[in-house]
Amino acid sequence: MFRLFVQELKFRRNAILGWGFGLCFFPMVYLGIYPQVADEMAGLADLEIYQAMGVALGTLEDWIGSILFLFVPLLLSVFAVINGTGTLAGEEEDGRLEMIVTLPLPRWQIVSSKALAFSFAAFLILVIVSLASGAVFLAIESQLETDLSAMDLVLGMLATWPLAFAVGMLSMFLAAFCSRRRIAALTAAVILIISYFGSNLAGSTSAIEPFEPFFLFTYLDYTSRAVTDGQQSSDVLVLMGIGVVAFALAVFFFQIRKLTVGAWPWQRGKVEAA
Amino acid sequence: MSNNVIETHDLTVYYGKHRGILNVNLAIEQGEVFGFLGPNGAGKTTTQRVLLDVFPPTSGRATIFGLDCQDQGVEMRKRIGYLPGELSLYSNIKASQFFQMYEYLRGENNAKDYWRELSERLKLDTSRKIRELSRGNKQKVGVVAAFMSRADLLILDEPTGGLDPLVQRTVLDMVREAKADGRTVFFSSHILSEAQAVCDRVGIIRDGQLVATQKVEDLFAARLNRITMIFEELPAEGTFAINGVKELERSEKSIVLEVTENLAQVLSIAAQNGIMDIETHNIGLEEIFLAYYSKDNGGEHV
Repeated sequence: MFRLFVQELKFRRNAILGWGFGLCFFPMVYLGIYPQVADEMAGLADLEIYQAMGVALGTLEDWIGSILFLFVPLLLSVFAVINGTGTLAGEEEDGRLEMIVTLPLPRWQIVSSKALAFSFAAFLILVIVSLASGAVFLAIESQLETDLSAMDLVLGMLATWPLAFAVGMLSMFLAAFCSRRRIAALTAAVILIISYFGSNLAGSTSAIEPFEPFFLFTYLDYTSRAVTDGQQSSDVLVLMGIGVVAFALAVFFFQIRKLTVGAWPWQRGKVEAA
Repeated sequence: MSNNVIETHDLTVYYGKHRGILNVNLAIEQGEVFGFLGPNGAGKTTTQRVLLDVFPPTSGRATIFGLDCQDQGVEMRKRIGYLPGELSLYSNIKASQFFQMYEYLRGENNAKDYWRELSERLKLDTSRKIRELSRGNKQKVGVVAAFMSRADLLILDEPTGGLDPLVQRTVLDMVREAKADGRTVFFSSHILSEAQAVCDRVGIIRDGQLVATQKVEDLFAARLNRITMIFEELPAEGTFAINGVKELERSEKSIVLEVTENLAQVLSIAAQNGIMDIETHNIGLEEIFLAYYSKDNGGEHV
């Protein structure tokens, strides 16, 4: 299994570098300009539109939480959807998976290697962005009045990884379950969008409030508290739990999947009259 | 104990309502080259994918080396080299890296020099990225990957597709060499001449059903000759109505007969009726194959 994991990680090398350095845009621009916009932002803190988006901008910690701790995990979740569905359903549709499944490897190892490689890749992307954030913070630290340290920022950002893990595993499960990649990717994207807006609106709309536990972003803290103290362990456990269950389902459905056929689970093994 | 490398028992696959294969029964012996013939959509690739546990059959059972294809797939695949018909490769790596990866994933260390040797033989430039290769060269990558582990069983789905005639000949030589080493080859194709050139036996699959399995030599022996005879004056109809002889065509001065037995008697009757010239044609596998697909005979033996 280790061999396949290494190969899968190699295949993601370009994605790690591309997404990693691409997402560095956020800390370089938004953290870099903070000293210039700090006073202006403090005045916008109470706008409803920002509240609806779950954004608070009053202090440096609010700013970092709302920009970096929200949008970097959100975009990393987009990577998770693309990579999570592409690694099983995408490779199946373009035919590459047939070469792998006809090797002497059990299917659970194939899914596990791909899941591990995805999870590690998402973590490495976050490491690149976190280190860039720390570096930008050190560069502007002299212009700031804050107790926050570069290490707090790096560790706080790394702690957002469980969201990408959960979304990635959900995407892999959908890829193993759905008949086609585009259905899996579309479903995962819808879950992501509903989770994002749902968790934000749940705080301000009583009709949505009961559904709050079902939104993935409910378990991502992007307030100033997350910047200074990290994610709450209960939230991390929920996201990890979702990820592990989704991974187990991905293994199960990949094990019984009629590869190259593109059928739903209930269409499998069905004898019909000629 | 059975000497069969591949055995299938009433293997059936349905894709929803659509038929894939129906009650396919195969028994392929150790060391033989078996040609699996049929047009596109007949069920060749479906059969091979079930054998490799890409997906399970709807019903029926298949074993390779006595191992159940579904329950003991990993053990079974250790002994198989496979070339898919719809070959798709990781395109961002060099061919050499692909072979190293393939060797690494198979957990083998003995293929190292052999893939180089095979690549040289097929004139494949392994230093180029796969996405830069032509279709034929990508096919060569697939062929090398299938042969590089010197597997006991080779399952090759249309192995010469996209290759130029010289390379096709090399691939067929590689199949013959595998046979000479005592290895078994399950070879699907719709190019009949190549099956005729390398196969010991052929199975003909039609609309998902195996309609015939026969030794190549028996296939020809059973339908030996087609004879065109030219007469000064054409003999009366029914002159050649003897066992094993069928009159196919009659024109002003010639008769075309299909002769499977009693050739001497045919020649004797022809001599008595003033034959002027005679031409014989050996029937090729192609004609035999087409006969199985002819609407007139419903796919039965003719």
